[in-house]
Amino acid sequence: MKGAPVVFRFSLGQLLAGRRLLVTGLLTTFPLVVPALLAAGSGRDPAGFTLDLFRALVLPVLLPVVALTFSTTTLGAEVRDGTVVNLMLKPIPRPGLLAAKYLAGVLATLVVLLPALAAAHLLAARGLGSTTLLAGMLAATTVGTLTYCALGVLLSLLFARALLVGLAYALLWEGALVSVAPSASSMSVRGYAEGVLASILTRSGLDFPARLGPLSATLLALVVTLLALVLAVRRLERMDFR
Amino acid sequence: MSQPSTGPVVELRHFSKWYGDVVAVADLSFELGPGVTGLLGPNGAGKTTTLKAITGLLHPSQGEALLFGRAISGDPMLYRAIGVVPDGDRLYPRLTVHSYVRLHAELHGLPKPGLAADRAIAEVGMEALAGRRLKGLSKGERQRTKVAGAIVHQPSLLVLDEPMTGMDPGQRARFIELIRLIADAGVTVLVSSHILGEVERLASQILVLVGGRLAASGDFHAIRDLMDDQPRTVVVRAGNARALAPGLIALPTTVAVEVDGDAIQARTRSVEAFATELPRLARAQGITLREIRTTDESLEQVFRYLVGRR
Repeated sequence: MKGAPVVFRFSLGQLLAGRRLLVTGLLTTFPLVVPALLAAGSGRDPAGFTLDLFRALVLPVLLPVVALTFSTTTLGAEVRDGTVVNLMLKPIPRPGLLAAKYLAGVLATLVVLLPALAAAHLLAARGLGSTTLLAGMLAATTVGTLTYCALGVLLSLLFARALLVGLAYALLWEGALVSVAPSASSMSVRGYAEGVLASILTRSGLDFPARLGPLSATLLALVVTLLALVLAVRRLERMDFR
Repeated sequence: MSQPSTGPVVELRHFSKWYGDVVAVADLSFELGPGVTGLLGPNGAGKTTTLKAITGLLHPSQGEALLFGRAISGDPMLYRAIGVVPDGDRLYPRLTVHSYVRLHAELHGLPKPGLAADRAIAEVGMEALAGRRLKGLSKGERQRTKVAGAIVHQPSLLVLDEPMTGMDPGQRARFIELIRLIADAGVTVLVSSHILGEVERLASQILVLVGGRLAASGDFHAIRDLMDDQPRTVVVRAGNARALAPGLIALPTTVAVEVDGDAIQARTRSVEAFATELPRLARAQGITLREIRTTDESLEQVFRYLVGRR
């Protein structure tokens, strides 16, 4: 499996090549850091503000948009422009190839999101109750990234407009349906991330309501991620490259 | 250049591929051994589908494709022995020639990818352009870069899909020489084209595809002889066409002659014999020849003729 690490390195380079890292980094950092700066001198509870920012902006918007953008591009863009044959015609087992593409999408997402999150937290919370809060936000972001990226890679092998399909899921299903039908949380990546965050914050006394408990959130995220990756491998193995 | 097993390098057994109601290729069966084989056919005949079936990029609707005796579907390790130059510009435009070829070497897991890339680039004569980005290269240079990427791991089988499309005559000549050198090194080469002359200069064996079916296969010259039996149309413009026509009708290879004003349209079994006799007849009667051209030498018509003979 010498080829899979090469695919990972090459794909990560492609995802973050040129101005893409700068543009996505700025688009992610700006909406997080500016409110954090404004709130810093306003006398609001720093931890509460940071948590609100995470709940209102990161979980419903920035996390799905960035993760789905990178994950639907990492393999889907090459399938659409035909350059994927350069990889398919190599002695690389398909699970290894797909895992390399998936991990490239995950790492690109985390490279963009985590520094912005840490910077916003540093500015707004200023170290108040912050270790647990920061750990919770980073863990929730990582769980969300792992799951969204698995779904994004699968969608990119099923639909030409995978990003639109993914965003429709994130905005319509997770944004609208879950709010009126809480039981739909079991099929919501945002719900999994909130469950993980709540489990960490509860231990340090911070209140964060979540519909899923820590165990069910973690298990469901794991099951959905693995299922999406297995289906993506099967799809890749059976695809025709016309 | 390791070869996983003996026997035919490529074998298609009753291979068919269809998309919904559209049949791309139907019931193809053939075997390929060492040497250069040309896959010949008009546009839309199923050449690319056949090559993609052989290289595992398309899965069979029916039948199977074997390489070195093993099914290519689900066996990516076979790609250690295969090099492919796909159709179209499936390159990464930001890469340089060297980084593109080196990427192929790394994906194959070669121990010294930089050296392997240097060697492959030298083989295709691209050393001077090794540092250039792919997006700045000419069509012929990009094709040679693709070949370097395909041979960097020294495969036993090289598959090329319409590799000379867009090349000028000089580039074509150099490219044909390159493919010959690769074949002389013991590589089995399968190359597709819709241009008879290209295949004639490259391949000793040919497969002719028409309408998704195998119309003919075997020795190039035997099939070329079959093609030459087809009557061709020659148009002649002359000062006194009516006076020239009886002499042309009398030629043993002429099938039919029609006169329209100063134009003669003749059907002949031998364009070469017709072209030899025509000036002699014109000179004997003091007739000036203004134009001589063939009208129906398109490969597609020759293919249709071949299919009709089966």
